[in-house]
Amino acid sequence: MFVKKERNLTRWIFVLPALLVVGMLLIYPVFSSIYYSLTSKHLIKQSYSFIGFKNYIYVLQDSAFYVALLNSIKWTVLSLTGQILIGFSAALALHRVVKFKGIYRTLLIIPWAFPSIVIALSWKWILNGVYGYVPNLLFDLGLTTERLQFFSDANLVFMTLVFINVWFGAPMIMVNILSALQTIPKDQYEAAKIDGAKRWQSFVHITLPHIKIVVGLLVVLRTIWVFNNFDIIYLLTGGGPANLTTTLPIYAYNMGWGTKFLGRSSAVTILLLLFLLVVTGVYFTVIRKWEKEES
Amino acid sequence: MKKFLSSVLIVVMMGITLMGCSLNEEPETQSQDSSENTETAQTENTGSEEIQELEGEITFWHSFTQGQRLDVIQKAADEFMQQNPKVNIIIETYSWGDFYTKWTTGLASGNIPDISTALPGHVVEMIDAEALMPLNDVVDAIGRNKFAEATLGEGTLDGNNYSVPLYSHAQVMWYRKDLLDEAGIEVPTTWDEFYEAAVKLTTDDVYGISVPTGSGDLMGTRFLNFYVRSGGGSLLTEDLKANLTSDLAIDGIKYWAKLYNETSPKDSVNYKVLDQANLFYQGKMAFDFNSGFHVGGIANNSPDLLDDISCAPIPKINANDPEYGIETSNIPIVLWKNTEYPEIAKAFIEYIYNEDIYIEFLESVPVGMLPAIAGIKDSEKYMENETIQQFADEVDVISEAVGKGTAIGFEHGPSVEAGLLASQSIIENMFQSILVGGVDVETAAQKAEDELNESFEMMQ
Amino acid sequence: MEKNKKTILGNFMCHIYLIFLTIIAGFPLVWIILSSVKETGELTSNPTSFWPKSFTLSNYIHVLNDLGFARNISNSILIALATTVIAITISAMAAYGIVRFFPKFGNLMSKALIMTYMFPPILLAIPYSLVMAKAGLVNTRLGLIIVYLSFSVPYAVWILVGFFKTVPIGIEEAARVDGANKFEVFIRIVLPLVAPGIVATAIYTFINVWNEFLYALILINSTDKMTVAVALKSLEGAEILVWGDMMAASALVVIPSVIFFSIIQKRIAGGLAEGSVK
Repeated sequence: MFVKKERNLTRWIFVLPALLVVGMLLIYPVFSSIYYSLTSKHLIKQSYSFIGFKNYIYVLQDSAFYVALLNSIKWTVLSLTGQILIGFSAALALHRVVKFKGIYRTLLIIPWAFPSIVIALSWKWILNGVYGYVPNLLFDLGLTTERLQFFSDANLVFMTLVFINVWFGAPMIMVNILSALQTIPKDQYEAAKIDGAKRWQSFVHITLPHIKIVVGLLVVLRTIWVFNNFDIIYLLTGGGPANLTTTLPIYAYNMGWGTKFLGRSSAVTILLLLFLLVVTGVYFTVIRKWEKEES
Repeated sequence: MKKFLSSVLIVVMMGITLMGCSLNEEPETQSQDSSENTETAQTENTGSEEIQELEGEITFWHSFTQGQRLDVIQKAADEFMQQNPKVNIIIETYSWGDFYTKWTTGLASGNIPDISTALPGHVVEMIDAEALMPLNDVVDAIGRNKFAEATLGEGTLDGNNYSVPLYSHAQVMWYRKDLLDEAGIEVPTTWDEFYEAAVKLTTDDVYGISVPTGSGDLMGTRFLNFYVRSGGGSLLTEDLKANLTSDLAIDGIKYWAKLYNETSPKDSVNYKVLDQANLFYQGKMAFDFNSGFHVGGIANNSPDLLDDISCAPIPKINANDPEYGIETSNIPIVLWKNTEYPEIAKAFIEYIYNEDIYIEFLESVPVGMLPAIAGIKDSEKYMENETIQQFADEVDVISEAVGKGTAIGFEHGPSVEAGLLASQSIIENMFQSILVGGVDVETAAQKAEDELNESFEMMQ
Repeated sequence: MEKNKKTILGNFMCHIYLIFLTIIAGFPLVWIILSSVKETGELTSNPTSFWPKSFTLSNYIHVLNDLGFARNISNSILIALATTVIAITISAMAAYGIVRFFPKFGNLMSKALIMTYMFPPILLAIPYSLVMAKAGLVNTRLGLIIVYLSFSVPYAVWILVGFFKTVPIGIEEAARVDGANKFEVFIRIVLPLVAPGIVATAIYTFINVWNEFLYALILINSTDKMTVAVALKSLEGAEILVWGDMMAASALVVIPSVIFFSIIQKRIAGGLAEGSVK
């Protein structure tokens, strides 16, 4: 009862700092981006003018935009699928083994400790088409007829980036799924066993429902993160060669800093945001449905 | 536990407040007393630095990111500060690539240095953005007639010298004497000979030449420019439109595409200047195009190769073609308009040109940096340097190339268009779309030309 | 009997799989460490060899002494710590407030916060540099911390709301009856209950900030204020490529984080799972 009575100003003290931070730091930039996207703003030119939706029209007519959008979707879907498959299977394996569990866990999360610049430096060298360790090893072992060009071969480059992103992102998924697995009461499995359930049956009926929401949340978080990710691609290939790895953030960056059309670049980022809002909106609807089912 | 947590929270709160204080390091230049400004303004009026003491803080951004060059500049600044105790010079270094991002973004947000180095192509963009302050008096103080007119002209608009050339270098063809000798190949003088030699020298371990077209750098533009300039053409038309679809340019694009397919590591589509140079340092490339900086690079990375390298002029299309001159870079210093202490900045720039400091600076990368002012090259102190003696022939080749060439696109004089030509990676992307994307040369060239022209129009 | 065999085989396969993954996960780190102790000549002339023929610490000495990398590391630690502490304080209060005091608006508020987490960093880069310039905070560590708050706070609130929801209101009501005010209840009763969640969220925040690259690149100019990520990038862009330096610098960045990770890994594991499953 007292909760209602005292619902006065002090409750605002709790939420105001966060609202202020978010308000000041996000509302202004977003509105200024929206504003710029309607102007001919140029990075180093002083004067600019209002040009309506011309930037959006330009971007939506640029075939490179759709290539970048498609790449973004491919990049997000493939990376996430890989991260979840590897992270999930590693968590299951870890959950099962008894010996060396701690060592595996420690070693498996190493990639997570890599800042993106170190990811880029090390993989760029390891996979370098001339003096990289891996291409030379494969070549010397006779597994390939020539040194593989991981960063320039049109058939390889995208998957190389996805691989590196999976390498980096799977540990986080693994750690979270593992701890979710550990919260499942053991007696549920025992009970299922007594009822004569097969392994896969208890997996489908006990394990999956338990970790569904964690996985769901992880997928949302990682989708946003991977979709918006700029560093890894920028530092590894810069979107090249021939725009094969240009995702929307890279496309926007090249427009803002390469050709310096800030107005257009802003238009791209606004479109990017709209796209994300739609995607995550769908996710949340699904997760809410799951949560309702559960309770 | 509860007590622990609440005390943690209190400490945290205090921490925040403290951090707020200690981290708020606003650039000191802005918080300086305004009375100093009037004082320094008077200094300028009297025109004599000895009467009034210089006072203030300036920031100097340069791109001499490593090793001795950095040290020499720092030493010069230290000495200058010793002589002018009330002056503080803050030096920041950026790679050329980062520098471009820094100043373009900085210009939008008002966060730029007092003085900086620049690429000639950047200078025209800076002038166009009205970001620079003329340095005519500095040029006069150093000696206007010591500078080559063409060199000084690269940063001059309407009689104002917006940049002072610091050093010069030019692109030449580097080759591995040992590899050529072994294969019994003469040093190529035409592009056809070069092609044959490069193909012949390509083995499992060594590439004839790598064709670098990584975006975010200008290497693709540079290589195309070699070919086009050697035929007397230009990547810009006389009325400053992009010119990638001329027969000469198309031939050039096809030429490099051919070499990419036959003698280059395929990864070179992503190569920037350092990736390319690195391959030469590792002894993995028979030829390379670069300036005298290759000597320093080899000396640092693989001193064993030092005796095996030499350079020659960039090949021509036909052996009897005239020498049109290829690419010369005169790296200048510029003064930014927003500076509060122009007289300190100017005094410091002049100071760098003091013969002793200047020679020490040049010799921090021997052969790489050639003097931009007369009277240095033949001085005893300059000639004392061992590397310069060892590479005397190469210095001659480069010096000759310096005299003939211009910055990319500067054949019709300095222009923003020339700057944009190289700074936006449009030509690099064109190469990539041809080499990896399978687009045909004419289509890709037309598209790149249109993109360039559109960006030129935006600058009007 | 047969079942037993199956289990052993299964366990064996698990080990094989985990060893395989461990090799891939750890290879770059091993490569960085081995390369960082090679001499320059060996790195350039024989870049594909795995084991070092020579052993030298000169790369490390050079990076720490001449390039002042220790300074960059301490910058990164300082910025990441400060951001984490501030973000977690603000977010914990907000998450609690949303859960407890705004039953109706709360949902809306947390949705608004989540939405802001979606803003592409690249969209905010230019506006931030303008705002920071106006505030005189460009090229200051404080400016960078403030910018980092913008994406750390929404994320932390989002995660923490899940944790605070798990706190039964009954305990709080009892404390209130005893005369404690809202802050006392929050600090003395609620926080200890969600401590694991707070620690986990703090670690996430720390990692995200530690790894951040784009804003650090755009907002910081001075070498002595750069974070490690940007300092490393500038090594890569230097005129003369020195692999030894870069590898030593990379090792100096990664090894402490790996040690930090292995110590706190149990806590990270608490992470999302506990907040959302219960």
